[in-house]
Amino acid sequence: MCNFLEYKGIVSIVQCPIISQDTKIVYRRYASLFFVAGINQDDNELITLEVVHRYVEILDRYFGNVCELDLIFNFNKAYFILDELLIAGELQESSKKSVLRVITQQDQFEEQEANEQRNS
Amino acid sequence: MSMRGLTVFIADIRNCRVRELEEKRINKEMANIRSKFKEGNLNGYQKKKYVCKLLYMYILGWDIDFGHMEAVNLIASPKYSEKQIVRPVPSIVHTKATGYLAVTLLFHENSDLVRLVINSIKKDLDDMNEINNCLALHAIANIGGREMAETLATDVHRLLISPTSRSFVQKKAALTLLRLFRKHPDVIPVQDWAERIINMMGEYDLGVALAVTTLVMAFAQTFPEEYANCYIKAIERLKRILIERDYSLDYIYYKVPTPWLQVKCLRLLQYYPPPEDSAVRDELNELLQVIVNNSQDTPKNVQHNNAQNAVLFEAINLAIHLDSNSQICMQAAVLLGRFISSKETNVRYLGLETMAHLAACADSLEPIRKHQETIIMSLRDKDISVRRRGLDLLYSMCDNTNSKIVISELLRYLQIADYTLREEMVLKIAILTEKFATAYSWYVDIILQLISTAGDHVGEEVWFRVVQIVTNNEDLQEYAAKTVLNYLRSPQYNETMIKVGGYILGEFGHLIANSPGCSPIEQFTAVHSKFNLCSLQTRSLLLTTYVKFVNLFPEIKSQILTVFNQYRHVLDSELQQRACEYMAIATLPTDDMLQTVCEEMPPFPEKESTLVIKLNQKQGDTEDKRVWVIGGKEANIERRESLRARMSSTDSGSMPTTYSSAPQQALNGHSNSITEEPDLLGLDDLSLSSNAPPPNTMQTSNQTSTLNSLNDVPTPGFEPGYHRLQRAAEGVLYEDSNMQIGLKSEYHGHLGRVALYFGNKTNATFQNLTTQIDSNDSLTVISPNPVDNTIEAKSQVQQLLNIECNEFFRESPSLRISYVSQATGPQRLHLKLPVVLTKFMEPISTMDGNNFFQRWKQIGGAPRESQVVFKTESQQGINGESVRTILAGYRFGLLNDVDPNPNNFVGAGVVHGGKAGKVGALLRLEPNMEQHMYRLTVRTTSEVVSEQLRLVLERSLTYDV
Repeated sequence: MCNFLEYKGIVSIVQCPIISQDTKIVYRRYASLFFVAGINQDDNELITLEVVHRYVEILDRYFGNVCELDLIFNFNKAYFILDELLIAGELQESSKKSVLRVITQQDQFEEQEANEQRNS
Repeated sequence: MSMRGLTVFIADIRNCRVRELEEKRINKEMANIRSKFKEGNLNGYQKKKYVCKLLYMYILGWDIDFGHMEAVNLIASPKYSEKQIVRPVPSIVHTKATGYLAVTLLFHENSDLVRLVINSIKKDLDDMNEINNCLALHAIANIGGREMAETLATDVHRLLISPTSRSFVQKKAALTLLRLFRKHPDVIPVQDWAERIINMMGEYDLGVALAVTTLVMAFAQTFPEEYANCYIKAIERLKRILIERDYSLDYIYYKVPTPWLQVKCLRLLQYYPPPEDSAVRDELNELLQVIVNNSQDTPKNVQHNNAQNAVLFEAINLAIHLDSNSQICMQAAVLLGRFISSKETNVRYLGLETMAHLAACADSLEPIRKHQETIIMSLRDKDISVRRRGLDLLYSMCDNTNSKIVISELLRYLQIADYTLREEMVLKIAILTEKFATAYSWYVDIILQLISTAGDHVGEEVWFRVVQIVTNNEDLQEYAAKTVLNYLRSPQYNETMIKVGGYILGEFGHLIANSPGCSPIEQFTAVHSKFNLCSLQTRSLLLTTYVKFVNLFPEIKSQILTVFNQYRHVLDSELQQRACEYMAIATLPTDDMLQTVCEEMPPFPEKESTLVIKLNQKQGDTEDKRVWVIGGKEANIERRESLRARMSSTDSGSMPTTYSSAPQQALNGHSNSITEEPDLLGLDDLSLSSNAPPPNTMQTSNQTSTLNSLNDVPTPGFEPGYHRLQRAAEGVLYEDSNMQIGLKSEYHGHLGRVALYFGNKTNATFQNLTTQIDSNDSLTVISPNPVDNTIEAKSQVQQLLNIECNEFFRESPSLRISYVSQATGPQRLHLKLPVVLTKFMEPISTMDGNNFFQRWKQIGGAPRESQVVFKTESQQGINGESVRTILAGYRFGLLNDVDPNPNNFVGAGVVHGGKAGKVGALLRLEPNMEQHMYRLTVRTTSEVVSEQLRLVLERSLTYDV
């Protein structure tokens, strides 16, 4: 199956106002995880597909063999990681190492915070 | 560290087997959190936990109507409310992070609450702690309203360029700025920042380089001159990656060095014209060659392959942009040939897409034609995205040598094509058939086959055109009558075919009356057997066919009179009137009147050839977004020829292949006297487009006139959509909390088709939906079918409108909508349809300076000239590119190198006024960059047209909308 879909001829999708008629959908499935991105008609499809892959790799490294339960129970983490990877829909950092470093740092802060809480 | 309470809550929700249980659990939790918030006294951990729970409910789709303030507090307060002063920083950060997450999810850009967080965000941007900077940047990038842009853009910019900023802040600042610029370009002084930002493209840190290049790419599209230096920077960067191999190992993605940055640089270069300097060109060619060489093998690893191809396709696009006949492009064509038969669907898709780009730009289609069979096979690909691409490519590559094969393949495919593809396919087949027809019979065979296969997907203009060609070509009439009669006999019901059949048999049925199986009564039975299935409009047309039958075949008069007699009593006034009148004519004592009325139709004047206009429009228009899809090069040559033909001769030879010789009046005359002459038949009454004015036209205008006085003020908020769609073919016309109204349109000559989509955004059903549209003599708006009167929750209904311009009009028609929502009761909307005179204009973009100024002088000054000097309200001043977009959007063809002053814009077009004829329009726009002023001059041979065109453009240029 092609990982790209075109929304030709659909003026509006009421449920999803973000998708305009010029949008292409790039999607990819990893076992029970589905990732969908809306891009402009002339954006590079393959490179978007690899953005998704990079995100999955990072999730995978972080959670260790990521599955949907990891994302459900740690949805806030999934968002934080996404923020480190993408801003304004554009790739901010393609280095896996660099993203993971920031996330680990965050976790250390969180742990510290919990400790302080317990001590008080 | 996870929050136990949150984990338990999520597990609980997941254990709810039915929705009711989930709702119960949610309500319980909400009540709990609400009371906790009310009590106050929560520590940071607790606040965080509860906000997280709320967030989880929110992403499950539940409405969250409280907790926003707690989120705001989480962002702002910790520093002061948490009493631990000792090393508080890390703990604050994480609580803050949750607060920010809540804010970005729960708030949208127009929310009033945004105001509350702007100050906190500003504080965090100024904070010494970079982690706080980052959180603030995320929030701005995710919410990003106007107020944020106005207040915070300069702070974000400071973080980007400050030498003390760490690279991870700079990346975020660059993309945050991008987001603000995309949403509110007027707020950001992009031009002033050019030099500093361009320099950052050379940054050693590839993350920063990528983010900044992305930002520059957006700026350079709007301010190409200010950002011109980025061209060299992008080449340098590519050189460093591809030749010097200067990159950190972290940035190699499956053996491809930083593919994202490569793609951005290659794309950026496509926003500038090919460089003049041959040294730069050589450098680019070398880089492209490296990329092509690197792509000769197909890696086994999917990611490696994708990344490599992502770069390669972008490189090929750049190569085509630079010179479509270059050596590199030849190599690319070979690669593409391999790609379109690749096992991988994505690669086939991209191969076809890129090949269509090449087909539109290259001088010779030979390298592509080699793959014709593979491309035709792609219409049968198992994947719909690939099929679409195959269709586009086939259309682009069709020419005299392969048209027969391509068209028959398309027809064969039409029968099994996806419904969503059919309408587009019909149009494309009709255009190609028309364009490459060499024999009449072939044309009729194909078109009738098309109508028969496509059924409801055939637009009116297609069958109008068939009738015109048959009427104008005697040799064809007998053949056409026989063929169409055969189609009518098939049990299949196809309304368009009945219309064609009814018309052709009424005119030419007598030519075949002596052939076996074609006797008058057999013709009548064939037509009449489907009569009751047809719409009112078609039935009206068929009544006219019958009265012609009475004249041609007196032997079946009694059967026909029975029908008339029956229809004298129907409720529909149009049918009733026709039946009565035809009955009266048929039963007069002598046949003189009948014979005069049913005289054979005279040949159609050439100005009626709607499909040719449609064809030209298809080529000139950018509706496919990429101008190159529609065989650009060839189209331009053809356009020039047709224009030349228009200038030289008015001989209206009726070969279908020569009808491009439209009357000379196109540019300098008012209208064609031949077509204006009222003949006895009243060409207007029987002419195709108004053959059967549907009954609801009259009704509509009556109702609106009474309504007019009651409610004549358009609903507030109608303007943005109305103005935007004046120069766009599709988009959102209006939107409020209940309803979204989308619009799609196409115009050909003096005719237009508009589709309205009424979308119900709520969870309640809308009933009693009615629409009323102004329709008058100068601008007829007809809805062939009334709109469904119910819209289910979260769904949409469609209404089609046929628009005909008969006179040069001034006012756009009103659209009045009323419906009853089960939730909020009766609603009324009064909008304006974005139909302005320029919609009926065809651009002319091939006219040289001499020609232009000669005509310019011929028309002369006032009153036929309309001129105005005005100031633009746009914050950014005058921008050449957006002026071009505006003029092209209003369908002026832009003429380059005509005006001695290169800053001025010169344009031309032909306005099709239906009965009022065609009027050539010339335009000159002289911007004064310093003063932000324009002088706009429009000259046409009609005072009304000049004034209307001037008004439309003046408004659009003033507000840059």
